[in-house]
Amino acid sequence: MTTRAVETWTLEPLAGFVQEAGARLVLVMTSAGQVLAQHGFSRAMDVMSAAALGAAIMASTDEIARQLNQQPFAALNHQGDRHGIFLADVPTNRGKLVVLVVYDLDVSSLGLVQLFFGQLAADLRAASPKPEVPKQVLAADFERDLGNSLNALFGR
Amino acid sequence: MSLVNFTAREIACKIVYYGPGRSGKTTNLHYVYDRVPDSRRGQMVSLATQTDRTLFFDFLPIDLGQISGFSTRFQLYTVPGQVYYNATRRLVLQGADGVVFVADSQAQQLDENLESLQNLQSNLLEHGVDIRNLPLVMQYNKQDLPRELILAPADLDDALNFRGVPSFGADALHGAGVFETLKGISELVLKKLAAGSPA
Repeated sequence: MTTRAVETWTLEPLAGFVQEAGARLVLVMTSAGQVLAQHGFSRAMDVMSAAALGAAIMASTDEIARQLNQQPFAALNHQGDRHGIFLADVPTNRGKLVVLVVYDLDVSSLGLVQLFFGQLAADLRAASPKPEVPKQVLAADFERDLGNSLNALFGR
Repeated sequence: MSLVNFTAREIACKIVYYGPGRSGKTTNLHYVYDRVPDSRRGQMVSLATQTDRTLFFDFLPIDLGQISGFSTRFQLYTVPGQVYYNATRRLVLQGADGVVFVADSQAQQLDENLESLQNLQSNLLEHGVDIRNLPLVMQYNKQDLPRELILAPADLDDALNFRGVPSFGADALHGAGVFETLKGISELVLKKLAAGSPA
């Protein structure tokens, strides 16, 4: 199983959590569903779908909490026959992150995930850098590359 | 907000297709899904009602390949168009890097288009985003319908396109204008990134 981080500061806390909690799949993402780190997924595209759904669940429950005039729910858990899903927020210097954990019931448990999630949240908070000033990303003449890529994508 | 990984040279951007109910937002994504090779797209996720109306969102990740040395991925979302679902519509807008406003070209739908455009502006404001600072393109869909039923793109520009953003006539069911619209919003989003500001 691979652990991969888009933002490297998330890697060590995530790897520690996976080992301790026995998690099968983990996603660390922004509240808009952009993935910062993941463990256990094999296709980048599958990661994005899971992130979109996880972020949507958190956004929905936060909105319900807002309409009830209460603080956002700390965590959500859904337990199936073989797998469980645990979803929670982590406030960091990079803003609020969302963590999605999928665990196998014969390897791990909700209690184990909850136990080590506190440590993961603390480690992410401590490791998170302050937001950076955006750097220039693309050359000014990227339009040609974009045109070629989209033409190839649509078979034109 | 777009995510840029300088180490791995990757970019991920979120594009939201917005507009009134039945204007063709999901149809746009279905056309893209059908035309893009398997290796360049993920699963299309649709959270819909039993009658196939969008309940929360449709989602399609596509891999644009290398753009100026960055591996570039776009996440395409639609919102539910029905007025009833405004709460979920607002949630999907969170973190959007660009918006495609899909208008229904039928003359009788003009008020719904205007209402949805105002709703877009108001929902963006709730996220602290000024619509004038967000990459936006207009798509005038259903241009394949009989002339007597629809407004021409120039008339729709007059009625809806207050900012003079790029606009595209389209027939999303058969694909006309879908590619051009996606290209248009992609250019605006990446131009904003190239200018050194978060999209």
